[in-house]
Amino acid sequence: MGKGKFAKEFAKGLILSNPVFVLALGLCPTLAISTSIDNALGMTLAVLIVLLGSNIIIAAIRKYVPNITRIPIFIVIIATLVTVVNLIFHAYLPDTYEALGIFLPLIVVNCIILGRAEAFASKHSVIHSIADALGITIGFMLALLMISFIRQVLGTGSLSVFGIDLFTLPILGEHPIAIFILPYGAFLVIGLLMGLFRRTGVMKGE
Amino acid sequence: MSELVAIFLGMVLINNFILVRFLGLCPFFGVSKQLGSAISMGIAVTFVMAIASLATWLIRNYILIPLDIEYMHIVIFILVIATLVQIIELFIKKTNLGLYFSFGIYLPLITTNCSVLGITLINATQDYSLSGSIVAALGGGLGFTLVLAMMSGIREKLELADTPKSMKGLPIAFIIAALLGLAFLGFGGIV
Amino acid sequence: MPAKSALKNAFPIILLTIVVTVCVSLLTYVDSITREKISAQEDEAIKALLTEMFPEMSRYEFEDDIYTVYSDATKLGYAFLAIGKGYGGDINILVGLSDAETVKEIEIISQTETPGLGTRISEPFFTDQFAGVDINDITLSRDGGKIDAITSSTISSSAVVEAVRDTALEKVKQLEGNN
Repeated sequence: MGKGKFAKEFAKGLILSNPVFVLALGLCPTLAISTSIDNALGMTLAVLIVLLGSNIIIAAIRKYVPNITRIPIFIVIIATLVTVVNLIFHAYLPDTYEALGIFLPLIVVNCIILGRAEAFASKHSVIHSIADALGITIGFMLALLMISFIRQVLGTGSLSVFGIDLFTLPILGEHPIAIFILPYGAFLVIGLLMGLFRRTGVMKGE
Repeated sequence: MSELVAIFLGMVLINNFILVRFLGLCPFFGVSKQLGSAISMGIAVTFVMAIASLATWLIRNYILIPLDIEYMHIVIFILVIATLVQIIELFIKKTNLGLYFSFGIYLPLITTNCSVLGITLINATQDYSLSGSIVAALGGGLGFTLVLAMMSGIREKLELADTPKSMKGLPIAFIIAALLGLAFLGFGGIV
Repeated sequence: MPAKSALKNAFPIILLTIVVTVCVSLLTYVDSITREKISAQEDEAIKALLTEMFPEMSRYEFEDDIYTVYSDATKLGYAFLAIGKGYGGDINILVGLSDAETVKEIEIISQTETPGLGTRISEPFFTDQFAGVDINDITLSRDGGKIDAITSSTISSSAVVEAVRDTALEKVKQLEGNN
């Protein structure tokens, strides 16, 4: 029974409650970061550490936290985790740090993190909160990867991950549709993907 | 003076918070269905951004830097913002109950609005002066309000249009944002 | 019992204080282990940029925002950062001088200009134009000078030109003041 619930919470984050396409949370970083696969992966790593950490800690202390100080405590914990990730990335993953820019510290106000803390981790056990964190992060990662892939391929005509060039498209390589790298492209791709998912019934809207 | 004007215009149009910097998106898609509430939200956010910029500038320059604890800025900034929003919430509740109810849940949500924390972080990284920070906040807020108002006006009209079922609501909102963003591209180069 | 209820009332604050203390300690710890690495990174970055510009560099000195570059005892030149107000934001430029009158070369460190147009200021065909130019002559050709702007990117081009010229004149004045 326990195992079934773990899997269920995990799977929910992937499709049914996909943070980007269904819940429409964490939009700010999604649109800004999705310009390349590398960036998408870097952001996912940061979010994973923070979400996992905050879900675990909050679930662990959930029985002891009085209602009044609930939000301030959550904020302090999440902000601390984000600062730790910020410092560690700056020191040990400087390229990722530069690429993520302002959106790394902005994970603090990313609706995904606080939302899960409030809606889930404060009400469920540590194990289930871990499942939720993993599921949501992977759902987030899939959404980011999908969008980044489209934007990077159409916008630069080639694909490279971690500095390894994977392929360059014949026509697009010479004349990439730069608009996809720009903000306009971000909105367009997400809007169309969302519509597509709803049309095909893969994901439902609100 | 011209530097302040440059910062202001930059924030409102060229590096518009929503359409270019991608800050403040959650309320953008949530609140922008009616013109009235969109504008109230915009003004509230601008107000919080300005006060938060003032408070965080003072804290950063007179406490964090002298004590060499700049790495605490994320924690401190967000706590300042959360406190500010609480205070403003109480104030509105006491003075204008109607307004309080019309904001609903979106008032406390200003705390998690990327624009607010965003402007304080931008002020810090760009190391703006006190006047620069406040002007940047006002500009950012104004840009946010502008786009929010435009969006809600369009969406109000869209209610009457015949949108395909799968695009209704969020997806079409994104497409509209895309078109608005395209239009705003033309502002680059004013300064 | 008064003491017990007092403790119960104070619990939220106590917990909050504990959480804050733990968090602050954690942050201070992480900061102490990363601080050195971060400032070392910045030094590495500058060293790499300077060496690219002055290949024979063995060491450099940094004072009042000006880098003086040496090869052992021989002074190779100077370098400093200039910031241009570009189309899309700040353009960070490293300007190298071979002496107090001539530009050695410039390098665009970072920029956020329009892709395909303004971004071309980083390309050699534009930046090479600055090599060997007298600092008093750094002007766009449309204004009577030697630097050709990039077609359709006059704002990005002039931002670079103005930043390099103004900062160079300022720094040279500073150097003469020191001597």
